[in-house]
Amino acid sequence: MKSKLLFTIIFLFTTAFIFAQNTISGKVVDQKGKPIPGANIYIDGTYDGATSSENGDFSFETTAVGNQFIVVSFLIYETFKQEIDVANYKEQTIKLRENVNSLDAVVITAGTLESGDKARVSVLKPLDIVTTAGSAGNIIAALQTLPGTQTVGEDGRLFVRGGEASETQTFVDGLRVAQPYGATTNNLPTRSRFSPFLFSGIAFSTGGYSAEYGEALSSVLLLNTQDEPDQNKTDISLMTVGLGVGNTQKWEKSSFSINTNYINLAPYQAVVPQNVKWNSPYQSLGGEAVYRYHFTNGILKLYAAYDSEKFDLDQKNINFENPVRTDLNNNNLYVNASYKGDFGTGWQLTSGISYGYSNNKVKFDINNVDSNENAAQLKLKLRKNISNYFKISFGGDYFITKYNENFDDDISPKLTSGYNSNIAAFYTEGDVLFSKNLALKVGLRLSNNSLLDETNLAPRASIAYKVSKRSQFSFAYGDFTQTPVVNYIKFSKFHQFESEKAQHFILNYQYTKPGQTFRAEAYYKDYSNLVQYDTKDIQYNSVFNNNGSGYAKGLDLFWRDSNLYKNLEYWISYSYIDSERQYKNFPTMATPSFIANHSLSIVTKYFITDWKSQIGFTNSYSSGRPYNDPNQTQFMNGKTKAYNSLSFNWAYLLTTQKILYFSVSNVLGSQNVFGYDYANTPDANGVYNRQAVTPTADRFFFVGFFWTISKNKNDNQLKNL
Amino acid sequence: MKKIITAIALFVVVISSAQTQFEQGMGKAFGLWKEGKNNEASAMFERIAAAEKSSWFPNYYVALVNTTASFSEKDKSKVDLLLTKAQDALDTELIKDQNNAELYVLQALVYTAWVVQDPMTNAVKYSGKIMENYAKAKAIDPNNPRAVFGEADYQLGGAKWTGVDTKPLCAQVEKSIELFASFKPASPFSPKWGLDRALEAQKNCKK
Repeated sequence: MKSKLLFTIIFLFTTAFIFAQNTISGKVVDQKGKPIPGANIYIDGTYDGATSSENGDFSFETTAVGNQFIVVSFLIYETFKQEIDVANYKEQTIKLRENVNSLDAVVITAGTLESGDKARVSVLKPLDIVTTAGSAGNIIAALQTLPGTQTVGEDGRLFVRGGEASETQTFVDGLRVAQPYGATTNNLPTRSRFSPFLFSGIAFSTGGYSAEYGEALSSVLLLNTQDEPDQNKTDISLMTVGLGVGNTQKWEKSSFSINTNYINLAPYQAVVPQNVKWNSPYQSLGGEAVYRYHFTNGILKLYAAYDSEKFDLDQKNINFENPVRTDLNNNNLYVNASYKGDFGTGWQLTSGISYGYSNNKVKFDINNVDSNENAAQLKLKLRKNISNYFKISFGGDYFITKYNENFDDDISPKLTSGYNSNIAAFYTEGDVLFSKNLALKVGLRLSNNSLLDETNLAPRASIAYKVSKRSQFSFAYGDFTQTPVVNYIKFSKFHQFESEKAQHFILNYQYTKPGQTFRAEAYYKDYSNLVQYDTKDIQYNSVFNNNGSGYAKGLDLFWRDSNLYKNLEYWISYSYIDSERQYKNFPTMATPSFIANHSLSIVTKYFITDWKSQIGFTNSYSSGRPYNDPNQTQFMNGKTKAYNSLSFNWAYLLTTQKILYFSVSNVLGSQNVFGYDYANTPDANGVYNRQAVTPTADRFFFVGFFWTISKNKNDNQLKNL
Repeated sequence: MKKIITAIALFVVVISSAQTQFEQGMGKAFGLWKEGKNNEASAMFERIAAAEKSSWFPNYYVALVNTTASFSEKDKSKVDLLLTKAQDALDTELIKDQNNAELYVLQALVYTAWVVQDPMTNAVKYSGKIMENYAKAKAIDPNNPRAVFGEADYQLGGAKWTGVDTKPLCAQVEKSIELFASFKPASPFSPKWGLDRALEAQKNCKK
């Protein structure tokens, strides 16, 4: 009985003790001492806690005793945890450290224009690639509305900041694509081989990029395939230019997407007057497939793209009395496999292998050119998060290229040229976040090229500083090297070439707020070691050297806004560039013909809910481009008139899953001139005659019907247009 | 015998008092939520979640409170914070249990909140995922009224734009109302919301 009483007393006492209340109080502040309201303060493992007030103050009672952990959490700060004695924790000040990984932390933006889900600041949204008037689903055409690019209508490839198109390299899931563009010939524009359909993120760097990427003097374009498709579906496209079918299947851990397209421009060429004579219309049959498999800690992707193109046409040529015939056949295959995954503590592994094959058969007048390229890449990259403030990555690349070309004009002996190149590269890079406002990236790339028999060391560095909540400055510096283009190194048997070199300095300012982005970027680029030759055309017996040089400097401005007017989105890009080079067979320093000093693009998109429509206009303007007139003594003294093109598109939702799409380029029918071709020899009066380089047609019309079949009745192909 | 009874009684007391603490805490959090103190309610649910790792309710309500709060928040950067918090809490529970229909319904709701915030960008991005999550929820529990209603409601929301036939969707709304009536929550904290919105949708259907 006694013991029972004792037990009861003890029990009562303990209970009383358990329910004894201790007051915990204090203030939550940031590193500058400013109060943080709304933070959650509690004793770990109990329900006892409070939310900090407007002044950062908190006070609560707890029944916990002894030493306990106090936890303070607030999303944009690092969670604070400390062991305390609950009896003696009053009027304490708790300082929270900013979470440097939070959404509003500084990011290095010099040179980089991003689009996609993972981009902190999206300059382009994924949809833009396809809904920009004039782009017609061509990734490259959409990127040409961004600052730093040049519209080179007779070529179609990306020309970035005074660089040749070959100075931009394209990567899919981190692996280089040797042949990113469709086959083309003299003054016929090409387009990107990749449909925007399978890509979820695009990063386009106009300079100063990471040491992870090499063999590019001006720019890199990084395309990332989707990690996971939305759902099972079938897409059908009926277009005035061809047909397309796509299908996506999703399983528990894996998914597969495939799409194929057949393009035939015969109907379009029959309706719209053409400036060239087509013997056989442009036709292509192509497709892409992606397979993805999700492991617990990683993802494996297999990507394959195939296309076959052909066309046959007669083009007027100033050096021939009759039009010259070009007959082209191209086959292209690209496959890559990549794996990305986490392991250990804070390690990330990215590895991959890619292979590209391209076969090009061109008949130009009496000349037959047959070329083959095999290109492969092996890549391994490791990244370690040492802390929230420091990350280090390192990796290696191995590029193998075999190129072979046969030239036959039925007169002179057959000429075979080609090269085998192996490039091994190693790089390392460190990312340091000093605070939420200051970030630094420093890298180094070391590469060895067996064909050129040289080793290059390229340092890269960039820094970003956030000056206020919405604006920041970044600066980037880098050295870049690139093997000369195939037109030169196929003659490596006859001359030992060296890499071409460039140095970038970029200063960037960025202002962002929801719905608005402003960017201003000034840059200076120094080119050296450019290839020169002494003949009219590049020949095996030309005298080559690597003594060429050049520069490019300019200012790029970008403004994007969706707040001005409901349902309206627009952006404006302006680029100014001053660039000269002495390369190729230039007798003096001069501005190359692909450079226009001023470029301006205005892109608008307007949603009309009542009409179930999206309507867009794009206007592209660039000032005149230089050309060389042999009738004048000064080199590259001519200048074309300015270029202007206004494009229009209209997407109309017939029902949820059926879309009618209409687009027309150059609505106003501007008679654009890209440059002039001059005769090789003067006529009887001693005058060199010329011929304007113009688009194959002034306008391009497109009508398409797109149908999505899926369980989710809301999905459609709007994103693929 | 007496001892056993005492022991059982003590055991029951211990259990019930432990339950009481959880119930009290949850009750307090619901009270704060009802008063419109979303931040405090969310903080309270978070504290309970940190202490009671075996129950999915606290994190579920952290996610629900923040998601519903985002619908009325006008400051876009705050919406990002609210929805990130909701997603984090939801992820914690989805890792533990992939067989809970309510979690998938809530995931669909989080995506819907992103769509509401910026339809032009996010409708295309998330519509497929929203439908997928409702489909998963229905696969686990075909009679979950929130899954049936949510799936129909999301499509009704887009109907003005897409011109989809609303009749079968309105029939699903009707069905969900019946399901709401017969739905028996497994515990006092099981999700019960949605009937008022379903009735609202029913009214719009009849217009």
